[in-house]
Amino acid sequence: MNLAACPREKEIAVLLALGAWPQAAAPELCTHAATCRACADLVLVTQTFQQARAQSAAAAPLAAPGAIWWRAQLRRRNAAVERMGRPLLGAQIFALAVNLVLAVGFLGWEARHGFAWLNWLEQLRQDSALHLDALWPSTLFTSGWSPALLIPVLAMLALVGGVVVYLGSEKQ
Amino acid sequence: MSWESVLPSVFAGDASRVIAPPMDSDAFAGFYERSARSLWAYLARVSGDPALADDLAQESYMRFLCAVRPAALLAEGEVACRRYLFRIATNLLRDHWRRPSTASIEEIPEEFFAATASSAQADSAALLTPALALMRPRERQLLWLAHAEGYSHREIAEITGLASASIRLLLFRARRKIARLLRQQNPQAGSQL
Repeated sequence: MNLAACPREKEIAVLLALGAWPQAAAPELCTHAATCRACADLVLVTQTFQQARAQSAAAAPLAAPGAIWWRAQLRRRNAAVERMGRPLLGAQIFALAVNLVLAVGFLGWEARHGFAWLNWLEQLRQDSALHLDALWPSTLFTSGWSPALLIPVLAMLALVGGVVVYLGSEKQ
Repeated sequence: MSWESVLPSVFAGDASRVIAPPMDSDAFAGFYERSARSLWAYLARVSGDPALADDLAQESYMRFLCAVRPAALLAEGEVACRRYLFRIATNLLRDHWRRPSTASIEEIPEEFFAATASSAQADSAALLTPALALMRPRERQLLWLAHAEGYSHREIAEITGLASASIRLLLFRARRKIARLLRQQNPQAGSQL
């Protein structure tokens, strides 16, 4: 394929870009374009595409620029808020991870020491000086419940409830 | 001063700095009026799908406004902004074609080209549409950018992401191919120079 450009191609291209072909072209340039394959292709293709462009541009159904501008502002704002919220989310995940590690460490440490504080709670309940039994119904412990079990359960419920309320408010 | 009273002002300052639009509404409206029709024509002709052109044109302007570059581009002038816009549109088209559910170029609605056209324009559309359908997407893009929009090889390279040196060869081949197709469809086409 011969890729050597015709030396007159640029002249024709300028006239085509100005929309002045063939009115403003010298007669000998028109004669050349009729005989030169590259120039003939250039004229045919450029004129066809220019006409197609004019037709398509006239038929273009344009949206309101104001609506596009506002939608873009909304997108920018959402992206900015998301960018600023990213460190907070990271901090929350870090805090959760630290808490989980501490909880697992605490449970491990307690397991190694035989949950001595449960015995202490049991002794506290049985201590007649404090009268802790007066705080809950006497029938509660007849069914196998003990404050040693009840207090951690209540603490866990309070913790889980707090997390649920926090996550719920975050989503809203 | 408590941290609660400091943080909101810091955040508000960040937000206003980050959200500050690169172009105000009036400037954008002017730019849009001058560029939207040619962008839509490019997308519609190259994709062969006017509905897709609507979507991609709007998305192009949204991305243009959301991008960080326009502030710097505005200093370079509207020509640079237009080129950047066409680059975004070209990338969107490429993404669309890469998706597996993309529509075929053969599914061009004929009625799209029938509206509000003079007879010369209708002739041109009747010739160009089937010829473009036989071209590869990349060839359609190159031809449109060079011959309808009048971009130079360097500008086309910037818009399409191709090497500047390869544009000349690709364009030469594409032009020869479509000229042959146009002449096949209408043997008189070449003689009306």
